[in-house]
Amino acid sequence: MSFTAPAFRIPRRNAFIFGGTDPTTGRDWPPLQAMWVKMWDPPTASPATPELLNPTNPVPELMAAAGFQNTPTIPHTVQRDLLHNTVIPMWDGKPVMFFTFRDTDNPATINGNYPAATIRMPRGVVYHGRTQGHGPPPHTIHWHGIEPTPINDGVGHCSMELGAYTYQWQPNFTGTYFCHCHRNTVQHFEFGLFGLLIIDPPDAYFATENDPSIPIGAGEDGARRVACNLPRIAPFSQFPEFEGGDPVIGVANGDPHAFTVAYDVEAFWVLDDVDSVWRDVAMDAKSFYPKAGNIPGVNDTFYHGFFHDFNPDYWFVTGVPVPAPKGGTAPIAANVVIPPALNSGVSGTQVSINARIGDTILIRCLCAAYNCVSITFPVDVVIIAFDGRALGVPPFGLYNAAFVVKKGIPFHLSTARRFDALIRSTKPINSFAKVEFINTRGQVPGFPEDVVMTAQIPIVIS
Amino acid sequence: MLISRRQLLKSGLGATATLVVGSAIPAILENPAFAAVPVQTLNFRFTDAIKEMVTHEAGNNEATCYFWCLKEDHLAFPDVPGPNIFATYGERIQIILTNDLDEPHAFFIPGIFNSGPIAPGKTVVRSFVAIRTGTFLYYDNLNAPVNRVMGLHGAFIVMPRRPIGLNRMTPYLVPTPAVQRLFNDLGRASWWPGLTWEQGATNPPHDDGTPAADTSPFRQWIWVLHQASPKLFAEVGSLAPGQLMSPAAFMNKFLRDPFVATSNDLRVVGTTTEFNYKPQFFTLGGQSGHFSHNDPAMCPNAYVGEPSLVRVLNAGLFTHSCHIHANHVYVLCVNNQIRTNLWWVDTFTAHPMDTWDWLVPYMRPPDIPNVRGIGRADEPMTTLAGGKTYPPIEEMNTFIPPLGTQAKDPSGNPVGLEMRMSPLCFPMHDHSEPTQVAQGGNYNCGLVSGIVFLGDRNRPGGPVTFPGMFPG
Repeated sequence: MSFTAPAFRIPRRNAFIFGGTDPTTGRDWPPLQAMWVKMWDPPTASPATPELLNPTNPVPELMAAAGFQNTPTIPHTVQRDLLHNTVIPMWDGKPVMFFTFRDTDNPATINGNYPAATIRMPRGVVYHGRTQGHGPPPHTIHWHGIEPTPINDGVGHCSMELGAYTYQWQPNFTGTYFCHCHRNTVQHFEFGLFGLLIIDPPDAYFATENDPSIPIGAGEDGARRVACNLPRIAPFSQFPEFEGGDPVIGVANGDPHAFTVAYDVEAFWVLDDVDSVWRDVAMDAKSFYPKAGNIPGVNDTFYHGFFHDFNPDYWFVTGVPVPAPKGGTAPIAANVVIPPALNSGVSGTQVSINARIGDTILIRCLCAAYNCVSITFPVDVVIIAFDGRALGVPPFGLYNAAFVVKKGIPFHLSTARRFDALIRSTKPINSFAKVEFINTRGQVPGFPEDVVMTAQIPIVIS
Repeated sequence: MLISRRQLLKSGLGATATLVVGSAIPAILENPAFAAVPVQTLNFRFTDAIKEMVTHEAGNNEATCYFWCLKEDHLAFPDVPGPNIFATYGERIQIILTNDLDEPHAFFIPGIFNSGPIAPGKTVVRSFVAIRTGTFLYYDNLNAPVNRVMGLHGAFIVMPRRPIGLNRMTPYLVPTPAVQRLFNDLGRASWWPGLTWEQGATNPPHDDGTPAADTSPFRQWIWVLHQASPKLFAEVGSLAPGQLMSPAAFMNKFLRDPFVATSNDLRVVGTTTEFNYKPQFFTLGGQSGHFSHNDPAMCPNAYVGEPSLVRVLNAGLFTHSCHIHANHVYVLCVNNQIRTNLWWVDTFTAHPMDTWDWLVPYMRPPDIPNVRGIGRADEPMTTLAGGKTYPPIEEMNTFIPPLGTQAKDPSGNPVGLEMRMSPLCFPMHDHSEPTQVAQGGNYNCGLVSGIVFLGDRNRPGGPVTFPGMFPG
């Protein structure tokens, strides 16, 4: 037995009919070329949206009224095109290529942004996202954590690539999501083609429509809210302005604030790593992408490439650079505020945290890195949601509950996972959260974790 | 291009090797996706193979990898992973192990069985009792992690015999209250209409009259995750008899071999067409891309209202971040610690050697527009054309690529490439995306599975089977 004289050969499973039988099993091959081809060479198409509804998303009109974007080209519709090339200088001056979205109704996105402008809307609206593929197409937009029909899910091999299409879905769960291109995802997502997607409570944005003095994103009572279920015992009871709801049917009683808590400060922590060598060498948006031949399964072109081998050399928190080389430790800049034009008209969202004693602080954290992250907080935090689903909110949350991560105890997250966390302190804090980026090739049991970068996110409460 | 699902399963695409030991577990034995073989004794040989990996299938292909693998006597071929093994709690299992390779090997199930080292050429006969329920990796724990990563691993599943009292069955002997509550609610509570996990059902035919397969009870899918480096595994296979590669040397090459700008793609300025030692194939159930996504044995295929279990085991050395579309899932148990707090997630982390269980509720994808918009399977909205948003009939009657799109089959005959948008098909994939490639590119030939909705048990007029990709 050896490499040169193995005992067996295990044949590849077949993707097509040979006009014969498999000699190893004696069974006929069924024709599966169509499925095989579509899996890695999805067709480009521009279908009409099936089961079409009228969109009801108030946000584009609100943003236009506030001067944050132009009048929507199509009413109640977000225009988001992809992709565009944007060169961003790193903390050490190196220019690195990013792939970006451009929201064609929104001048603030004209040069592309990393991460993309955050799309927000109230729960329950009919959302339309009009999307065209450019530079070079095709592309898709997948709305991660949103669960519509396949054609609206934005995965090429289960539907199509664009082309042009109006994505249609209705967000049913208040929470934190993101969106990204699902074409050659290994490259496009890595190169920055993603942005946050936030579903706010159902009265948000409509409240401002009815009363323009209410800040965009706040509810009828002027407060910004996030979904959660906080038991009436310490430490969960420390957050004022929590509103519960029906213990079995949850938010079904029609109260837009059921199972939400008001927050004073919101922070986006989008943790990301960048491999600038990939960006330097593989700038073509179709790098290593296979090509179907006219005899699929036989004369297709498969390439040799290096996308199996990811080695980050730059790190970011919500587009803010971590100014240290690999293996280093550095804080990110303080006092970064996300402009409302890049946050669906919502003002004041932070990255590094600067808050007052007694503020309820909401952290929305996404691991957009290909590596894992381990976050250690300087205070106790309450985890209230994962992946757009608030813990403990009936009925689907009857089997789970919000919980505390104590200060100093690391909390791990891997690619695409999100959590929402609440902080409230009655004492001053001048510290930081430690975010360690851990190599996915460096988590072997019995060996120390391979930490490739340590970022510090300042948290100041005074 | 209408193929029968029975043909698909018979073809070898759709039959994951599965053994059921001892007392019959009818749910598994009768489920055609498993093609399970009942055995009284496990009889394994440690052997080796060259396995053809995912690629285009022209004659001159280098997409192969040398593996060490387990060949069970009842199966015609070995494979990596080895066969899924099902047993019932308390079963005494006889196992015969023969080492056909040149160095010592072992068979180990944590907390359940340890054969100890078996010398080359030797056979040992042992028995053990399935004293724990749940999802376990069986593997060769010698020269760790080399032997396991070379392919000597698979899934060992122990089902409880009966539920506790008047409760519904769960996958565990002693579930936590949260797990028991969930399994009691599935199929019973108003927010989980449909079947319990333990119920099967017959199904109405497709709209064209072809029969639909029955729904199995105790629906479950098993995902053994792995990574393969042909260059490194060939080196291990070329060592002199009895010579071992040190774990440190193996892991240095597998995990830390320096980056090389491999490329034969003119669009990319590479420096070589050769590969480094890092793995270039990523598998789920030993298959990649189409061969695991479009395989109903590895990809959950069920109706709305049919809660299903997914058991995930990471046999390799990379961390994967598994993301499922269309439904959020409950994390029931991680590394055989049953959870008291069942997080409802769309993505979860599989570190090397992790095992975990997901409950997929198979609820209607909740962001399909409906009247209240609060995540319940409410009355669908009325479309501008006067139809309903659900079931998405217009979408399911769409073909992308369109009808009439053609290519050639290997004999030069025309073959249709049209694909109907029915049943409702979604992916599951690792979101740490370097594992979504093969040979460093060819996106979507990596570690994937999916979730397919074949119909809906909970329609007002009774269960409905969606138009089929694979009727019958």
